[in-house]
Amino acid sequence: MIELDQITKQYPGQAMPAVDKLFLSIPKGEICVLVGPSGCGKSTILRMINRMIEPTSGIVKINGDDVTRTDPDQLRMGIGYVIQQIGLLPHRTIAENIAVVPRLYKWPKGKINKRVDELIVMMGLDLEKTRGKYPAQLSGGQMQRVGVARAMAVDPPIMLMDEPFGAVDPIARTHLQDELLRLQKEIKKTIVFVTHDINEAIKMGDRIAIFDAGKLVQFGTPEEILTNPINEFVEDFIGRDRVVKKLNLYLAEDAMQPIGCVVKGNELHTVAQKMKDAHVRVAFLLNEEGKACGQITVSDTEEFGRDIEGLRKRVLRTEKAFVQTTTPFPDALSLLLEYDTDYLGILKGEELCGMLSFKGIRKHVYRKEGE
Amino acid sequence: MKWENFRFALFEKAPEALWEHSLIVVITITLAILISVPLGIFLSRPKFKKFGLVTLNILNLLQAVPGIAVIALALPILGLGMEPAIVALMFQSLLPIVRNTIAGLLGVSSDVKEAASGMGMSQRRILIEVELPLAVPIILSGIRTATVYVVSMGTLASLIGAGGLGNLIMGGLSLFRPEYLLVGAGLGALMAIFLDRMINYLEQRITPPSMGAE
Repeated sequence: MIELDQITKQYPGQAMPAVDKLFLSIPKGEICVLVGPSGCGKSTILRMINRMIEPTSGIVKINGDDVTRTDPDQLRMGIGYVIQQIGLLPHRTIAENIAVVPRLYKWPKGKINKRVDELIVMMGLDLEKTRGKYPAQLSGGQMQRVGVARAMAVDPPIMLMDEPFGAVDPIARTHLQDELLRLQKEIKKTIVFVTHDINEAIKMGDRIAIFDAGKLVQFGTPEEILTNPINEFVEDFIGRDRVVKKLNLYLAEDAMQPIGCVVKGNELHTVAQKMKDAHVRVAFLLNEEGKACGQITVSDTEEFGRDIEGLRKRVLRTEKAFVQTTTPFPDALSLLLEYDTDYLGILKGEELCGMLSFKGIRKHVYRKEGE
Repeated sequence: MKWENFRFALFEKAPEALWEHSLIVVITITLAILISVPLGIFLSRPKFKKFGLVTLNILNLLQAVPGIAVIALALPILGLGMEPAIVALMFQSLLPIVRNTIAGLLGVSSDVKEAASGMGMSQRRILIEVELPLAVPIILSGIRTATVYVVSMGTLASLIGAGGLGNLIMGGLSLFRPEYLLVGAGLGALMAIFLDRMINYLEQRITPPSMGAE
């Protein structure tokens, strides 16, 4: 756990302190995102944790220990540090770059090599091709992977990341974000993550701290902040589309409803009656292998009546109108709009396990909003 | 021009002169490196940056004094012989090395230094493992400039009895023997070119692959 207690940083010659009497407690094993417009002091705060910058007053504690009691170099060796500019050593190979901190800890050579290989693979880089290369021979995205690998080399419990993905192209950024989130599920590090991009903050953060002019404006989970922005500044900062942004926080399974009615291919003529009996407005069609391959709504049956082949064609039009349990709401909404339908089947792997409706999404978001 | 004179200059006089000249160059440059590189490192540290400009100006002034004047000035203070010549030449060769050391060290990207420091490398370690290796190509290029300079200025050192290729040139001038002059100047030029290429090769070798390639 990282605690900032009454931290103030006043740069000489500036009227306003860069950070003003900040109290912030960052829980263990979570990603805490510091976000705000440029110049709000978020990077300064991050850099006070590993003493790259010393506060003018106040105490920074890691697991209850005042950081100023540890030698700054020793302290930094135990904290992963990733910066936007990456800062790989240009005259060292990728393997040597990752080995910097293990070497500071004087690990034996064999252990270092093993760990370096492990990290290169973990970051999704080609081991044989990457090991002996120099940083300038890699793309921006690959370099930042090495940057993250280097920070994780000695498996530090805390990682500080200062706009780590700010300089890579959008596609590589999305990949890096997804991979960090996937890794975090296993490694459970305490990560302090600085960004100016609210979307990145919502995506990455277990908790978000929003800053303005050196002051903490709001601290909470992405859901709390999107639901109850504390003031106009936060409202502006997260944008008018905050409810749309909030959709990113939910997965299809959150609003899953049970399926009332399924039919096989040879039972299409009975579907209207079946739906009526089950009091549902949608049924799903299963093929011979029992896999879901389309949906039938009440209006479909009314439109086609006894024209079973017409109905079958209509059903197969929605062959791909399915989502996984872990599909986020925005993707599901996109599918709903694409197929001009009110319902989507939810699959767990290959198996149909429930359905998602437009109304269900609306209710789920509204209920959360009203809480 | 007489072949006889030419032969005499080349085979009888030149070997000793060349040896003395090499000695002057090697000792001068070694001393200059030993003084300039630490001075450059010192002046590039954040705490002492403010002295950097002053020192560079002083060295610039030293550099502006014509070589022959420096050697002439060395005579009354340091006397005759090789040692005073070396001291005089050394003062003149400090500037390019100090200047390039400072430029090389300050040219190391602050991102790299920030990352190194953020990983827990001490300032000393950063200097030895990061800054100096990255600055070496530029420092070497300063050494190259200084070396070429000392080879050519070294010919003047014979005026205060230091020997070297200057002896051949001065001898040729006073005895009206153009052959001596040619041999002395020609060997001096060859030596300068050879050293220049050699150090240049070294620079290329130690610049990490792909650095500066883009």
